[in-house]
Formats: sequence, structure tokens, C-alpha cells
Amino acid sequence: MKLFKFFVSKIFLRRIIPGISIILLICLSNYITFTAVRTVFSTYQGYQEIRGLNQDGNYIANLDPNSTIDFGAIELDKTTEVYNYLSSNFDYAFYVDGFMVSIPNRDDMEISLCYMNKAHYDLTQFNLSQGTGLTFDYRFDGNSEIPVLIGKGLSKTYPVGSTIDLEDPALGQEITLRVQGVLEQNAYHSNYYTLNSKSYYNYSIILPVNEEFLNHANLDLRVNGLMDIVILQTTNEKISDLRAVIQNTLGLKLNFFGQQDNNEYFNEYYFHSLKIVAVTSVILLLLITCLSVWNAMVSIRLMLKDLTINLLVGLSYSKLRKMFYSYFGILFLINLVIVFSITALNRYGCWLRKDTTFVTYGLFGLIGIDWLSLLAVVVTDIIIGVIVVECMLWRIKKVPISLGVLQ
Amino acid sequence: MTKIIDLSIKEKIYRSKESRISILNDFNLEVVAGEKIAIVGESGAGKSSLLNIIGLLDRNYDGEYTLFGLPTNHSDASKLAQWRNQKIGFVLQESALINSLIIEDNIKLPFLYAGAGKKGQKEMKDFESIVDAIEIRSILKKKPLECSGGEKARAVFARGIIMKPQIILADEPTASLDVENRERIVALLFRMNKEFNTTIITVTHDLEMANRHDRIIHLERRK
Repeated sequence: MKLFKFFVSKIFLRRIIPGISIILLICLSNYITFTAVRTVFSTYQGYQEIRGLNQDGNYIANLDPNSTIDFGAIELDKTTEVYNYLSSNFDYAFYVDGFMVSIPNRDDMEISLCYMNKAHYDLTQFNLSQGTGLTFDYRFDGNSEIPVLIGKGLSKTYPVGSTIDLEDPALGQEITLRVQGVLEQNAYHSNYYTLNSKSYYNYSIILPVNEEFLNHANLDLRVNGLMDIVILQTTNEKISDLRAVIQNTLGLKLNFFGQQDNNEYFNEYYFHSLKIVAVTSVILLLLITCLSVWNAMVSIRLMLKDLTINLLVGLSYSKLRKMFYSYFGILFLINLVIVFSITALNRYGCWLRKDTTFVTYGLFGLIGIDWLSLLAVVVTDIIIGVIVVECMLWRIKKVPISLGVLQ
Repeated sequence: MTKIIDLSIKEKIYRSKESRISILNDFNLEVVAGEKIAIVGESGAGKSSLLNIIGLLDRNYDGEYTLFGLPTNHSDASKLAQWRNQKIGFVLQESALINSLIIEDNIKLPFLYAGAGKKGQKEMKDFESIVDAIEIRSILKKKPLECSGGEKARAVFARGIIMKPQIILADEPTASLDVENRERIVALLFRMNKEFNTTIITVTHDLEMANRHDRIIHLERRK
């Protein structure tokens, strides 16, 4: 330990420019690795999620980018006509989120309400930590209780079996919800069009939407529901008819994308983007590795005399190798702690800002993809470390160390 | 008389892209404890290479080398490093100091590599007596760049003998010193030999200095 301290303080860190350069290079490689791996994993998770919806015969709606919505011009009765048409002719998956309410809870968070019908629920397949799944055959009247699933964050305040009274913004009336089950922590929903972006359900309530519920819902829920509606097991011709019905009835121009369209979209935007992210990251990492090796060679040239003198008085190559690995190990560890701290600050910041849809559970809020990305950083560091240290030793042995070095 | 060095070199080769240089061809050397040997010869004859081999820094040659009765060619590198620390002292030119360390830390450098129990009171006593004998107390807290050539040469000498080695390998230790400092270093070197029966092997271009050794070995460059 004394020898290691001596080498770090009196030899390695005495070469300030190469010392700082290697720290910056490691920092850069860690940041690139972490960002690239997390983006790839997160996109993959989003892709897996949407794969359940993106089946042959399914069509996912999206508002035409050239169209605008004038809520004031849409009549509630007309939306009823559209939903009646939908119910008569199609199976469809309905999902709307983003309605916020305030109810008492331990962390004083605003709560996000997510509405989904049975078809969407069946396709999503939530994992529960407590209780049972949703039922959709409840009767909707002023006195009945609607069975709901809640996120882990609400489970302490509202255990399974308890009730929640709130004014539902989609219904515009007081309702009573009964907690049927609790979602696994960090259950999420990916944005269909930005697959690596997620909303977490930890402070959400998932409400089952049946026909009766929809009939009582206001315009916001009904129109928003159409924006991302997924029509199941149908044909192109029937979708064309639906498109015309929605446009003629509500003035909304929706596009419906089938499996092939979606696959092409994913290939064009996501797969291609991920390829670019992966290839660019690998090239950058190779470049950083080369720069690190070059930087290490410069360091060796500057340290050669000092290392030679140490070899003369009892240092062995094996001890030197151990010291190089220990030194780089510490540099990597410091950089890993920096990446961890930035990630933790980011995740924990969501708790401090009470950012309902982004708060996550884990050590400082870190979740699976964060840990996997940190693991990737460790692996990258080990590879770069081994390459740099072995190149340094190769360079030292190539000289070779001799009295001639000192003359 | 105990034989401590038994070296037999068939050939030592230096290769570069353009050339292949062969030195120390069929070179044999036997040294007994307490002997003083001078190695002389023109530049490129292999004087420093020979010291590298004797000092266990270079094992890349065709030959056999037995030191203190132990064949070194296939010995564990850590063991040889330990011998460099405890049995062999290198006395080099005055530039062989680490500039970021003060003279005291430069002299005590071998203590860092000594095993447990080698850094105790006895070693400190040795250090103090060497510092006084060599008259370098006034520069202990200085960095090498703040010292004169003679002071640095004495500091290098002090580091070479701090572990009380059985063999001292001196590589042109006085090459860039004035007469007064040169005499001082030579006297210190021979004092070690006389007091502790230390074997001295000196590489030098200075024939006058070489003549003060028990034996002179001439190395010739192969034509």
C-alpha cells in the first residue's frame, strides 16, 4: 500500500497533462458507453412492449400531422356515434393517460390516471405484486365502486381492498375506486413514437374502461382515446371505412398504421438510429482507447527514468503491473462513481421535483436499465484498462530497462 | 574464497530493423567475494550490457549465469528483483535520481521494496551513518535540481549502498565529476570494499581509475 501510494503521488500524478488527459478520456468513454447502452436497452424494452400491439391485422391510429383538432367544434354526441360504430364493427384497444388528480398519499404526489379497456389490458399483461387483476364487468352507476390497479407508491396509503374517493376528470363526477391489485414496482408504459421514453406507473391508478364508462366520459377522454386507438384483427378496407367515418363525423383526420407500416417505421427510424448509436459509440470507444494508449505511451516516456531507477532498487515487472492495474482501477472506480452519481441525481431529482410519471424505485431511484448500463461501463473500463496497462508494460519491456536509459 | 559470480555468455544480440549486433561473444567471468574488478573498452563493446546482465536487469542473452550459487536464467523475476534490492547496489552517474523526490527520499527508495522488518531502527541508523560519512546532510531536504553534480553523485552513491549490498555495480560513476568529487566517490567505493568485503565491479573509461582495481577486463568491439 505504501509503495502504491508512493507511485500514485510521486510518479503517476506528477505528469499532470497525461494524468488529467487519461481521467478525461475515461470519463468520456464511460459517458458514451452508459448513454448508448441505456438508449439501446430502453428502446428494446419499448419495442418489446409495442410488439404485443403491433400484430398482423392490427392498426394503430395516429393523428395526421397536417391535421389540427378543434375540440370546440366536436360534439359529444358525435363521439358517441363513432364509438358505437367502433363497438359494432371492431375489437379495439383503448388507452388514455395523463389525467392528473390530487388525492392524499404518503409522498404528496399528484396522481396520474390511466384509462384502458379490456382489450388493451389483455395485451399489456401487467405483473402484480399484490391482489388480483382488473375486472371490466362492473356496473357503472353513482354508487358502485370501480375496481382499479394502483402503483407501488400508493400501496401503503391504499392497500388492496381499500377505497379511493376522487373527482374523476374524465367523467367530471365523484367516483369511488376499490383497489383490486398493486402493480410491480417500476411498471411502465412506453411512448409509441419515442420508444426509449417511458412513463412509470408508480403513482398511477389504472381504471378499467367499459362501454358504460365510456358513455359517461367527457369529450377529452373520448377524443384522446381515438388518437392512439388500436384496431384489432381487421382489414385494410374496414380501416378505410373507419377513417372516413371519423373524418366525416368528427372532422379528425387519423392515419392507421398496420404491422408492415409500423415495422417499416421502426426499421427506418429506430433500428437505423440504434445502428448509428451503436456504431458511433463503438467507433468513439475505439478512438478513445487509441488515444488512451497514446497518452499512456507519452506517460511512459516521461516516467521511464523514474521507473528504471525503481526497477534498479527492487521493483519487479509483476509489482509494476499490479500498480498500473490498481491505479487504473481507482481511476475507473472514481469515474464510475461520477456516472452513478449523475444518474442517481437525475433519478432522485424526479422524487424531489415530485415528477409523478418519472419517479422510480431502487437505490437512489436507479432501475434495471441503469444497472445494466453501469455494468456495461465496468466491462468497457476493464477492456480499456487491460489494453492500456498491457501496452504500457509492453512499451516498458521493449526499451528494455537498463542502465543505458539513465545515461 | 567464495565464488559469487559465475557467468558464461555465448552471445548477446541487439537487433534493429537495419542491423544485428552481436556482443560479449564467448565471454566468461568468475568473481569471488570482495574482489574489485574494472571493465574497460571502447563504446559499443558491451560494458553496460554486461552490467545489466550481472545486475539481473537483462536475461535476454545466450548463456548461463549463476549468482550466489543460484542459476538466474530461469529464476522467478520477483526473486531477482528482491536480490537487486538487497544484494546488489547500483552506483550510477549523478543524473540517476528522481527529480520529483527530495534527496532523502531518493536515498531511502530501496527501503520501499525491502521486506517487512527491513525499515526499522537499524536501517535508520544505517541511513544516518551513511549520510554523515558521505557528508550530504545539508542537501537531504533539497530536490536533485537544487544540488551540484558532486552532491548528486554522492546521493546516488548513498542510495547504492543503503541496503549494504554484497555487490556494487558502478557504471561510470565519476564520468562527469571534477577531480575532487571523483576522488571522493572512488574513496567511498573502496572503503565499502575494505570495511564490508563488498565486491566492486566498475565500468569506466578512466584507465587511471581502472588500475586501482584488482583486475581489469578489456572488452573489445567485434569488427
